Amino acid sequence: MDKRLEALKKEYKNTPIPDELDFIVKKALKQKKKRKVNMKKFLVGVGAAVLIFITGVNASPSLANALSEVPFVGSLVKVLTVREFKVDEETAKTEIKVPAITNMGNKTLESTLNKKYLEESKKLYNDFMTEMEEVKKNGGGHLGVESGYDIKTDNDQILAVGRYVVSTVNSYSEYTYDTIDKKHELLITLPSIFMDESYINLINENIKEQMKSQMERDPDKFYWLDDALGFKTIAKDQSFYINNEGKLVIVFNKYEVAPGYMGVCEFTIPTDLIADVLASKEYIK
Amino acid sequence: MKKDVNDLFVTCINDHKEDFYRLAFSYVKNQEDALDIVQESIKKALISIETIQKAGSIKSWFYTIVVRTSIDFLRKQKKITLMDDQTLEFLSHGIVDSYNDIDLSNALDELPVQYKTVIILRFFEDLKLEEISEIIDENINTVKTRLYRGLKLLRIIIAEEELI
Repeated sequence: MDKRLEALKKEYKNTPIPDELDFIVKKALKQKKKRKVNMKKFLVGVGAAVLIFITGVNASPSLANALSEVPFVGSLVKVLTVREFKVDEETAKTEIKVPAITNMGNKTLESTLNKKYLEESKKLYNDFMTEMEEVKKNGGGHLGVESGYDIKTDNDQILAVGRYVVSTVNSYSEYTYDTIDKKHELLITLPSIFMDESYINLINENIKEQMKSQMERDPDKFYWLDDALGFKTIAKDQSFYINNEGKLVIVFNKYEVAPGYMGVCEFTIPTDLIADVLASKEYIK
Repeated sequence: MKKDVNDLFVTCINDHKEDFYRLAFSYVKNQEDALDIVQESIKKALISIETIQKAGSIKSWFYTIVVRTSIDFLRKQKKITLMDDQTLEFLSHGIVDSYNDIDLSNALDELPVQYKTVIILRFFEDLKLEEISEIIDENINTVKTRLYRGLKLLRIIIAEEELI
């Protein structure tokens, strides 16, 4: 190559790269999310439709009954909001939605669950009211609690309902799951899926591996793993649900295994890993 | 598929962000504007990423965007010869050794943009002629002609500078 050209190239390659480049690139790449505004509008639309549907079903039992006869829609009328507790004041906001399960043959389980949901929600509401009074007495402050549910899985076999409590003030949040076997109409607990307690260790090891590999792949992710307060073991009755593919998903609440920005952490456990200790192959495939 | 292209795009940007920055810098000659162009280019790319056909050509596709964004920018700026802080510093200190370099790079900067682009892409970024023809949307012969003329111009400019 020509000497001058060589010099020019050298000069070109020596262009100083500012430290901000990384930041700018990262920021620009993140704007991807903003582009999906249309998607959000679409979701809002769907949300509105669902809302109307739920209101209709709740307001009119005959509509609910009529709908439950329709084959596909019928399976939707399974978990619905029946009651809402709402407080909306300037400094205190709460919205607690109580899920209720309907259409279940096993009425005892149905009413036990519904009662549990209602009682827990009531307690949450009462706690909130007491706390609100207290805060008011002490000169005021902001309070906010939101509670609701989402349906994680709903197929022929499994219905998994996740209920959450989110405090909008200190960003505390908690998820609890109920996984129901629709066919046998049983409540599934984590120990009940397995033959003995050896599942705890198997799952622990796998979660640790997943944490490590996730952190290696993505520097934005972080789990408490190696320090004294880090993840050691799941509880015997750790939060979990069974997803649509029949995989076991272990759930950790915010702050349980990772800093707050990681939110609620879910780990899908590969089935072949726990296949040997499963009590039955019915739920987990 | 869509997700794949997105992932590939992100990887490509992260792998080559310094190349893209340098290219933008070679046009606008200052850090803030070059950063703006990189950012703007990524924004544009994300908007039209669905239209991309071959995953393999992401890099040259993005070069295209950087080149066009830079040229657009220059058109809007019409046209003060910009100098980066370092060049200014060199000049104000009057360090004799660096005069040569300044002359050289000025020679490149004074080239019309179409020649400058092909020279940078071919010799500094080591792209193939086909890739360059894709980036500037001209056929290979045009690329060759521009390279040849650009080099010739460069020599002439340098020669003239040397005469003075």
